[in-house]
Amino acid sequence: MNRNLLHSDPQIATRQRWMGVLARAGTGLMTYEAALKEAEYSLIRAPEIGMTLVRGRMGGTGSPFNLGEMSVTRCVVRLIDGSTGYSYVAGRDKQHAELAALADAHLQGPEQQHWLSLMIEPLAADQQRQQAAKAAETATTQVEFFTLVRGED
Amino acid sequence: MSAANNSQWLQAAFNDPVLDAQTSFRSALKALAEPGLAQPLNRALALGNLHPATYALCLAFLDGDTPLWLAPCFDTPAIRANLSFHCGCPVVAEREEALFALLDEAGADDLSAFDNGSERYPDQSCTLLIQLDTLTGGEQLRWRGPGIKDVRAVELPLRPRFWQQRQARSAFPRGLDAFFAAGEQVIGLPRSTHVLLNAEEAA
Repeated sequence: MNRNLLHSDPQIATRQRWMGVLARAGTGLMTYEAALKEAEYSLIRAPEIGMTLVRGRMGGTGSPFNLGEMSVTRCVVRLIDGSTGYSYVAGRDKQHAELAALADAHLQGPEQQHWLSLMIEPLAADQQRQQAAKAAETATTQVEFFTLVRGED
Repeated sequence: MSAANNSQWLQAAFNDPVLDAQTSFRSALKALAEPGLAQPLNRALALGNLHPATYALCLAFLDGDTPLWLAPCFDTPAIRANLSFHCGCPVVAEREEALFALLDEAGADDLSAFDNGSERYPDQSCTLLIQLDTLTGGEQLRWRGPGIKDVRAVELPLRPRFWQQRQARSAFPRGLDAFFAAGEQVIGLPRSTHVLLNAEEAA
């Protein structure tokens, strides 16, 4: 992941990282459902599906243009100990959004290290493996273009 | 990290965001269509010192395009945090900029500077959301106008100052529309309703 996208405050950068891992986790979070739902919690904002506008920059540096809209699901939960967890995930999976918000709430609590090592590290490693596998698979299809020197003066 | 500081104040809003917002909006429409008749409005819970009906009106009406002016007694961290979280409405300090104003009984005595629309766009006036302790028990006034057959007697516990101010700010089609909320009920008072004050009644 591009380091420049992370916040300069290390505390915020850490949270950014786990938010990203949780958002990409998809069905991988289901493994932790029982652990996440162990503590009592309430829904501040029940999972809801909406649209968001994706904008891009040509070549990463040009002026922004509207790429298109994508569906996102968001959720906010409050644990019994008062910590509030947020989630924004791509797609329409309400369960994923709820689990990601729960995970965010737990990760802000006193047992942050426990949750990091239990959930975030394995998920991040998994995602890195998948990304590497995909990159390797794509690399085999790479085509090198070159032009033969034509015999012209 | 303002979100983290505010998050302790957050509480759940409507149970079913779509259905509850529609039902509340419907009640508000009925309240305006039949001025003076109390309509039920019980889809939200109380929020701090906001009654369920007042909070339901806020949740149904406010969004990112509706600047809100808060009376001092409602300008609390809990109310600010929840309204900006659930409605996303900007809270403004200047009355002129507000499309909605959240007032208590004392605040209803001073309606100066709220936008009462223009001749061309009378719909852009400020709508007053006024929370009272109860919707009855005040001086009985007779209301007349669209939505009322003959006259309707309404006893809102408001001071005469409110009625003077309302009359002063009214120049149809310009004027101020108001909702009075208490507990789980709401009464609407559109600008088109003519309130017969006691002096006129005698005449």
